[in-house]
Amino acid sequence: MSRSREHIQLIDPRMSRVPRTTDVPAGEPDSGELEALLARCAAGEAAALEKLYARVAPILLGVLMRMVRRRDVAEDVLQDVFVKVWQQAGQYDRIRGRPLAWLVSIARYRAIDLQRSGRPVIALTEKQLESEPSLQLPDPNDDAAALGLGAALLRCFEEIAVPQRRCLVLAYREGLTHAEISRAVGEPLGTVKSWVRRSLVSLRRCIES
Amino acid sequence: MNYDNATLIDRLAAEHVLGTLRGSARRRFERLCETNARVLGAVQRWEDDFGALTKSVAPVQPSPRVWQGITARLFAGSAPAVERVRRRRGWEFAVAAGLVAVGLLVSVFVRQPTEALQTLAVLGADTAHPVWRIERGKQVSALTIDVVGAVERQPGKSYELWALPRGGSPVSLGLLPRDGTLRRTLNEQQRAALLAADKVAVSIEPERGSPTGSPTGPVILVASVSLSG
Repeated sequence: MSRSREHIQLIDPRMSRVPRTTDVPAGEPDSGELEALLARCAAGEAAALEKLYARVAPILLGVLMRMVRRRDVAEDVLQDVFVKVWQQAGQYDRIRGRPLAWLVSIARYRAIDLQRSGRPVIALTEKQLESEPSLQLPDPNDDAAALGLGAALLRCFEEIAVPQRRCLVLAYREGLTHAEISRAVGEPLGTVKSWVRRSLVSLRRCIES
Repeated sequence: MNYDNATLIDRLAAEHVLGTLRGSARRRFERLCETNARVLGAVQRWEDDFGALTKSVAPVQPSPRVWQGITARLFAGSAPAVERVRRRRGWEFAVAAGLVAVGLLVSVFVRQPTEALQTLAVLGADTAHPVWRIERGKQVSALTIDVVGAVERQPGKSYELWALPRGGSPVSLGLLPRDGTLRRTLNEQQRAALLAADKVAVSIEPERGSPTGSPTGPVILVASVSLSG
């Protein structure tokens, strides 16, 4: 048989090929660009979905991996998300102007829907909570841009006590339920529920002020 | 529950976005979102506010199978037919027993007249988990091999593709890639073997391929091919 050197070359992306998600610019995608792609998806232009995928699939998978912890499950959810985005692109409301938030929400809600109750949650000690990078809370002394947080949200997060803030982050970013947060932080369920409730009220008040 | 209460609506919207509103309460609230613009507005505000928290999450590159799955669900006009692989005792090489429990695969007869490339075979453990998609040009002088699923890595081993010409010995079509896309030009012997083949097979070989020119390791997959259609 021939043992000649294999000729490896990258093929131009087409619908049947995998979009090269590594070639897109780093950082958060431009909202205008995403809106234009969503509009083209709504018009049935398949190439726009491919571009959208290249642009946001790694971001969404990062979010999903945090929530569901397993790559295979997260990737299944990601697949569902893009099928849904294609089917519902026309429902994106341009007035909102935050297409990434819309896309992230579709992904997160799908992950939440698929979460089964009673999945094991490892109780984290206070020390573990502090050292877990994903749970690190915004440091007000750091540059807001470097933290990737909007200035208003950062300012308002600062006004919430650390244990309460941690509950919000565990819920939003790690996808934990009240009961799971209670186990993770070692506080009674009722305490966690009221912490979350009160934190949300003060957050809203702060953001609007 | 009194959904006219603005404070209550905002708190439920926040807990919905946060993910702490679960079960039947979550579903009730979602139905309300569909009919009540004020409720939807509250949800969208929280989505935008909390969305900032995801900016610090590290991106993760999806494996190729995700996109392949999306296009298969949305755009595939015709999926490859599937057939159960039958072991052929008459082969000139033995199937090493018990090494790899893969039974299903693939076949091909898919013509895509609008595209320059036609699918020759989709190879995988089963139809739900395709691993390689092999396409050919019209002249069967080159193959394009896409990795569309997770390739199980075995240290020091590689996967080799064979054409099984009717009545002849297996002819190597080269090693299969572990990721990405490989475009391989066939030599005349390979092309002739493929044109005369009704099956292709994949065997596990040493890292640089079979040292003998014939399959030496276990055959893990066999797929029918049709080049006549």
